Amino acid sequence: MSDKRKAEEAGLGPWFDAGRAEAPAPSGDWLARMEALALEEQPTPQAPAVAVSPERARRGVRLRDLMSALGGWPAVAGLAAACAAGVWFGAVSPTGLTEWTAATATAAASDSYTTFEPASGFDVAMLGL
Amino acid sequence: MPYDAMSDTSDEDLLAAYAAGEPAAARALALRLGPKAFGVAMRMLKDRAEAEDVAQEALLRLWRAAPGWRAGEAKVSTWLYRVVSNLCIDRIRKARGGHVDLDAVAEPPDPARSAEQELQETARGAALQAALDTLPERQRQAVILRHLEGLSNPEIAEIMDIGVRAVESLTARGRKALEGLLGARRAELGYDDE
Repeated sequence: MSDKRKAEEAGLGPWFDAGRAEAPAPSGDWLARMEALALEEQPTPQAPAVAVSPERARRGVRLRDLMSALGGWPAVAGLAAACAAGVWFGAVSPTGLTEWTAATATAAASDSYTTFEPASGFDVAMLGL
Repeated sequence: MPYDAMSDTSDEDLLAAYAAGEPAAARALALRLGPKAFGVAMRMLKDRAEAEDVAQEALLRLWRAAPGWRAGEAKVSTWLYRVVSNLCIDRIRKARGGHVDLDAVAEPPDPARSAEQELQETARGAALQAALDTLPERQRQAVILRHLEGLSNPEIAEIMDIGVRAVESLTARGRKALEGLLGARRAELGYDDE
């Protein structure tokens, strides 16, 4: 206690000492409720914000717009699968096709003609041939 | 951070940790400030249920003010004492201005007389409280903050929204009134035997 306060209290000092010694204390239940209230009212911790450059943010927006225009993730997945199939056709040697063309070359010319005739019987009938 | 490690942390730092979502700070602040708020409210209102209500309301306001708290602007304890004091004064004034059933009160209350009755049957601390209860509310508030809560005059001036000289005047008048009430009871409560 400061000397100034002690001097102020003078003859009342013992009374104030008694008053300070008998400070009203809250119940344990009430304190527990206040603790629970403090936790209940506490703001939830915020995740630290990650700085994103404006250029990167614009790129992200453009990519999202493009994906949305294509039909979203399912459409993009289908497109990716088609691309992969195209690459596979281009990269893998067409041995099956070579064997097939070799076999047709040894057959009769008429057979080959029939085989490669693009017009069907229906087309011929329609043209009145 | 565990609660034990926060005992040396200032109220202001704890409040910042509270606003950042640190649960240990919430517990530490509630256990540190709850008894202070309740103590002042109890001395002012003399009613445990009312004091608990007021202290709870003040703490709730503090939790809600925490996210926007500006460091260095006000001391947390001073702010809390101010809210508690204002809520207590509001309640005292409402109770005084409220409806009074005259049939239930046979005679007008005599503060000095009730203080005397208290002095006869209670211990020294209770006798002081009884004498404090007879003071006008602003004097009582200033004396409680100065001599029982141990605050400085500038802090009390901030809490009560008055000048330091006005605080000195209030506490001086309060002490004089208490001396008049308690002086005659020194022998009765054993002070003259020490």
